[in-house]
Amino acid sequence: MAVQSIPLPNPSHLHSERIFRKLIDSVTDYAIFVLDPTGHIVTWNPGAERMKGYHADEIIGRHFSIFYPPADLEWNKPAYELKVAAETGRFEDENWRVRKDGSRFWANVVITRLLDDEGRMVGFGKITRDLSERREAEQRYRLLIEQVTDYAIFSLDPGGIVRSWNTGAERIKGYKAEEIIGQHFSRFYTDEDRAKGLPAQMLARATRDGHAETEGWRVRKNGARFWSLVVITAMRDEEGNLTGFSKVTRDITDRKQLLDQVRQHAHELELRVAERDKTNAELEAFSYSVSHDLRAPLRAISGFTAALQEDYGDKLDETGRDYLDQVLQASARMNQLVTDLLNYSRLTRADMELQPIAVAAAVKAALAELDADAQHVKLAIDKRHAVVGHEATLVQVLFNLIGNALKFHEPGKQPRVTVTSERNDGTIAVRVRDEGIGIAPQHQERIFKVFERLHGQEAYPGTGIGLAIVKRGIERMGGSVRVQSDLGQGSTFTLELPAVDGAD
Amino acid sequence: MVEDDPADARLVQRAFQKVNHGLKLLRLKDGDEAVSYLAGDPPFDNRLLYPMPEMVLLDIKLPRRSGLEVLEWLRRRTGPLRRLPVVMLTSSRHSVDVNRAYELGANSYLAKPDTASGLEELARSFQQYWTRFNQPPSL
Amino acid sequence: MGPELKTILLVEDMDADARLLRRAFEKAAVHSTLVAVPNGDEAIAYLLGEGAYQDRTLYPRPGLMILDIKLPRRDGFEVLDWMRRQRPAFRRLPIIVLATSCAPHDVDRAYELGANSYLCKPQQPREWLHLAEAFNDYWIQANQDPDPIRGES
Repeated sequence: MAVQSIPLPNPSHLHSERIFRKLIDSVTDYAIFVLDPTGHIVTWNPGAERMKGYHADEIIGRHFSIFYPPADLEWNKPAYELKVAAETGRFEDENWRVRKDGSRFWANVVITRLLDDEGRMVGFGKITRDLSERREAEQRYRLLIEQVTDYAIFSLDPGGIVRSWNTGAERIKGYKAEEIIGQHFSRFYTDEDRAKGLPAQMLARATRDGHAETEGWRVRKNGARFWSLVVITAMRDEEGNLTGFSKVTRDITDRKQLLDQVRQHAHELELRVAERDKTNAELEAFSYSVSHDLRAPLRAISGFTAALQEDYGDKLDETGRDYLDQVLQASARMNQLVTDLLNYSRLTRADMELQPIAVAAAVKAALAELDADAQHVKLAIDKRHAVVGHEATLVQVLFNLIGNALKFHEPGKQPRVTVTSERNDGTIAVRVRDEGIGIAPQHQERIFKVFERLHGQEAYPGTGIGLAIVKRGIERMGGSVRVQSDLGQGSTFTLELPAVDGAD
Repeated sequence: MVEDDPADARLVQRAFQKVNHGLKLLRLKDGDEAVSYLAGDPPFDNRLLYPMPEMVLLDIKLPRRSGLEVLEWLRRRTGPLRRLPVVMLTSSRHSVDVNRAYELGANSYLAKPDTASGLEELARSFQQYWTRFNQPPSL
Repeated sequence: MGPELKTILLVEDMDADARLLRRAFEKAAVHSTLVAVPNGDEAIAYLLGEGAYQDRTLYPRPGLMILDIKLPRRDGFEVLDWMRRQRPAFRRLPIIVLATSCAPHDVDRAYELGANSYLCKPQQPREWLHLAEAFNDYWIQANQDPDPIRGES
C-alpha cells in the first residue's frame, strides 16, 4: 500500500482548515486526534471523548500509551507503533484498548505519519474505531461453531490446509485442533479417493460453483471409515479474491447403513419377484406346450382308432370292437383332462380384462355348450342383472357348475337344476341349485382343490379340476364362491361378483 | 347385419331364424349407423343394451357409407375391433367387389341367393361353420 | 361354383393330422384337391412356384389355404405376415388356420395378421368329419372366392 501523508494545515488555507476542523469536531463515531512526534496528545475530538471517556482538558498533553492495556505496555508497544508509522508512514492494528474507567474495548487503530512541506515529521494522526460489537458477534459465532458437535465445521486456506477446527470435527474425525491445524485436508479422504484426486476436485468445484456437495467415505484418525455428507463452500473477500474454504461434514453412516439395508431388501425382493415371474412364465409355457404336445398324439390315437373302427370294424369280432371302444373312451378322458388343465393354467394369466356382462347372456352361453342336458335346467334370472367380469371365464365357471349340478344325481333319477340371480349390496349372487346327492360338510372345502375327487370314475366321471377352475376363475374376477350342501340334500353353489352400477 | 333393404333384411332374418341355434341377428340400416354402433358412440354407448357383435354381416351398397368403407374403417382400428370377423353378404358377384373386399380384409364373401331355399341353405352353412367350428377372436 | 376342382394348400407338419384331415375330406366329399406341404418355407415356395413346385399342372395355384400355426422353420404367423404384408399378390387368398392351440392370444394374433377364419383341430374323432362337412358347405359351396392370385406365381 502506498504511503499516505496528510499535509499539515497551511495558513494560506485558513478557510478550508476551519471547515476541516469542523468536520473532525463533528465526528463522533471515530476518535480522531493528533500526536506530537513523541506520542503526546495534541488535539481531541468528540468521537475520542465519547469512545475513551476523557475530556479534552484532561487528556491533551498526556502520552497516548494511556490507552494501552498493561500487557502491551510491558513490551512497549506504543513506541513500537510510532516507530513503524514513522518509518513506513502508517501503522494499523486491531486489538484491545483501555477506556478512562479501565474498561476495555476492541479497537481498530490507524496511525499515520504527518510531514510538513519540507518533509520533516511533525507528528502523527491517529484514528480509532470501536469494533467491540462486531468483535462480540464474531466471537459468539465462533463459539457457536466451535461448540457444534454434530457437524465437523472447519476452514481451509486456498491451498487446502486446515485453519480452524471445531468440537464436532474433533468428535467426528478424532483429531484435536492442535494436531490437525496446518495439515492438508486430503488426509480425511480414503486412499482410493486421494489417488483419484478427489480432494483437489472438490476444491476446484467449490471455487468454480461457490460450493461443492458430496457423499462418500471419509477416514477418521484411527483409520475407521464413516459415510459423510460434505459441503465445501468457497470464501471470498469483498473484492472476490478466494480466501479459503469452509467445510461442513456430517457423519451419516447410520442413515447410510439403513438406506443400504432398505436397498438391499428392495433388491432381494425384486430378484425374488423377477424369479417368480420367470417361474410363472416358465410354468405357463410349460403347461401350454404340454397340453399342445399331449393333444397332438391324443388326436392321432383317437382319430385312427375311430378310423379303424369305422373302416375295419366289420373285420373284428365283438371283443376286438370293445377294445377299440376302451381306447376311444380312455383317450376321450385324457383329452378332457388336458383341456381342463389347460383352462385351469390359463386362469393364472395376468391379462384378464374385466367388463360388464349380462348374467342371463352368460348363463345362456353356458347352457348352449351343455346341449341336450340343458333342458333339465330352470332359470330365474333377472335380465337387468349384470356383473363385472371376464366373459369367457364366467361362461366356463357357469358351465362347470351347471354341468356338475346335472351330473351328480342318484342313478336313474332326473336331474333338476335351478339357476337364479339376486342383487345384494354392490354384488350379484348367482345360485346354481340341484337336488342331487349332496356333499358332506367335511368335504366342502376340499372339492375346490385341483384333482380332488369324491367319487370314482365309474359312478361320476370327471377330472377333478372343474371346481378348481370355478374357484380360481371367480377369484380372478374379484368374486367369491361358496357351497351349501349336505348328503342327500342337494347342493347350492353361490357365486358373488361385483354388480354393474345402475343395472339393477 | 348391416342391410339397407328392409325386404332383404326380413328374408335374411327369417332364414336365420329357421336354422337358429341361439344366434341373434341385429340389423342396422346404413354404414354410418354401423360405425356408430361398433364404436359404441351414442345412442349405442350402453354395451348391455347394444352388445358387441361376434360377427358382422355387411352389405356393400349402403347409404351414406358403403360396406367397403365400413370394412376399411374396422381394419384400421387399433383395438380389438380390427379383428372382428366380417362376412360380406351382398347381391354383387362382381369380381371387382369380391377382390376389393378380400383385399380390405373381409373374412368371407357371400352372394345373396335368389331363392328363399337358397338363402336358408346359406344361413344353415353359415350358422354351422361360424358358430360351431370357427374360433372367434376376443373382442 | 364352376365344376373345376379347387386346390386347397394344406400347410401341416404333423403327418397324422394331415391324414386325418384328408380322410375326413374324402368322407365328406369335399369338392377339392388337397395338396400338403410340411412347413412354412415350403408353403412360400409353393405359392411362388419355386423350386420343386414350378410345374403348375402338378402344383396348381391354390384357391384356399389351410394353415397350421406351430410349424418347423417359418411358423404359421410368419406365413400369414408374409402373405398379408410383404406380398400383396397373396393378400386376398383366403387362409383358414387349423391349429392345436385355441388359446385366445394365438387366435387373436392370427386374425390380426389377416387370417380369414380359425379352426381348432378336433380332439373328438367324429368331429373331423363334421368339420370337413361344414368346411365344404361353407368355403367350397357357399363362399365367393376372389380371383386367383396373379403376378408372382
